[in-house]
Amino acid sequence: MRKSFPVEDLARDARFVRVPIMERITDPRNAFQEQAGSSSRRAAGRLTPERPDAPDAARALMHGIFVGEIQALEGAGRTCWDFEVGAGDEEGVPEVPFELKLDMARQCWDEARHCEISIKLSDHMGTELGEFSENTFLYEAACNPDPVLRLTGVNRALEGLAIDVFNTMREFGELAGDPILEFCEDWMLADEVTHVKMGSDWLRRLTVNDKDRQKRALEFQRVVDKLFSLGGFRGEEEDSPVRLARRFRELAGFKEAEMDTLAEVAREARSEMEAQVARNKIAVTG
Amino acid sequence: MADSKKPRAPFAPWDRREIPGIFSVEESARRVGHYKWIEMRLFEVLGGWVATVPELDVKLRLGTHCYHHAWHAELWHKRLPELREMNPERLTAPPNDELVAFVEAMTEPEAADLTIEKIVGAYRVLIPAKIAAYTYHLNNTSTITDAPTIRSLSFILQDEMSDWRDGEMMLQSLIETEDELQRAIDHQAKLQRLLLAAGGIAGPGTIGDSYANDQEAHA
Repeated sequence: MRKSFPVEDLARDARFVRVPIMERITDPRNAFQEQAGSSSRRAAGRLTPERPDAPDAARALMHGIFVGEIQALEGAGRTCWDFEVGAGDEEGVPEVPFELKLDMARQCWDEARHCEISIKLSDHMGTELGEFSENTFLYEAACNPDPVLRLTGVNRALEGLAIDVFNTMREFGELAGDPILEFCEDWMLADEVTHVKMGSDWLRRLTVNDKDRQKRALEFQRVVDKLFSLGGFRGEEEDSPVRLARRFRELAGFKEAEMDTLAEVAREARSEMEAQVARNKIAVTG
Repeated sequence: MADSKKPRAPFAPWDRREIPGIFSVEESARRVGHYKWIEMRLFEVLGGWVATVPELDVKLRLGTHCYHHAWHAELWHKRLPELREMNPERLTAPPNDELVAFVEAMTEPEAADLTIEKIVGAYRVLIPAKIAAYTYHLNNTSTITDAPTIRSLSFILQDEMSDWRDGEMMLQSLIETEDELQRAIDHQAKLQRLLLAAGGIAGPGTIGDSYANDQEAHA
């Protein structure tokens, strides 16, 4: 089996359909939806039970969580396989500590369990697997050839997004009077805090004597964070569908300044997306 | 209770543990190093295979089992310094080149349509071999002096038996045609030959020698 497994080869059964995230967000048909007064998720703002589209929006988000968990499982699994313990090899594959691989194996178990929970929850919410499309940007962040950058991108950026999403879903479950949803999201949230903390700890330990590598890792995290802000889907604005969960991020080792930076990155992503949507609108409607 | 001052046997009547065991500290450490090496190879490949397997239930079980074997590797890693090996990496090694060849062949399948071969290698060949080696070790080491290894072996064997059952059931559900059955048989035979050449996961003598007399059997 190869070291480094390309995203296009990820194995799925026939139920799964892939659509690139940017293709979905920048779909010119969104302009028509807005013109027609349709309540697109972004336009509708925070996910609350009062929203007319709340059940469908929650089901779509839950399915997004499910496919994200599959990719997080695949990414952690590949980190177990792609890197050797100890000295790096002649082809430039860097070394990783034995304990890092143990953490990744533990994460495999956690993500597999999250997939199981997400499948049960999707069923509970009336969703069939494959009902919504899959995008693979999460796994793409897990393909970085440097294990430090990979862990920073996955465990701090991706799992950090998971903290924000699970907290949002947990609150939605509480507001909607759905104790099963609230219960499950709360348990998954606990695991995600652990995973983000793993990322923070390994970033610090592996770059303690290599500030350049640390800088590159944090830059990579910023790029991934911006991507994961999904054009303002995650942010600190009043109408952000997914809010930054500052309290839980703090538990996971994020500093206040880092969260401020993340909020700024999310604002940038939103502005860029709004500009793109405006361009699409002009292109479509003239 | 009659009299708390009345002397009691230090080993209760139902406690039949005895001092004799066939493994020296050095031999025990050698075996534990081989166990750690093979557990590492197994958890790594199970993790790597997750992305390559399209069957959703199999994908999730591989993720779960990946951690089981990583935990076993961790238990052995922690046991090595207790067996006077202060540099665990020194004994974290295969017993011979033949076992390396076996692992290379077992970890080779990658394509999405080779799930049967992947599961056969891990669950019909390697895990049964581990169960055999661990059971032999459990039944032959000193039940008093080597209690920490016995405790780890007992936990690990619970996982191994449970994972073996999961894997066998996954395989039985995947094999639906004569052709698929033949693929499973052929791959198992290929790997079994390589493992035979290695003499087991700890090399020749992994499960003793049934043709030797009592004193030679475990040499």
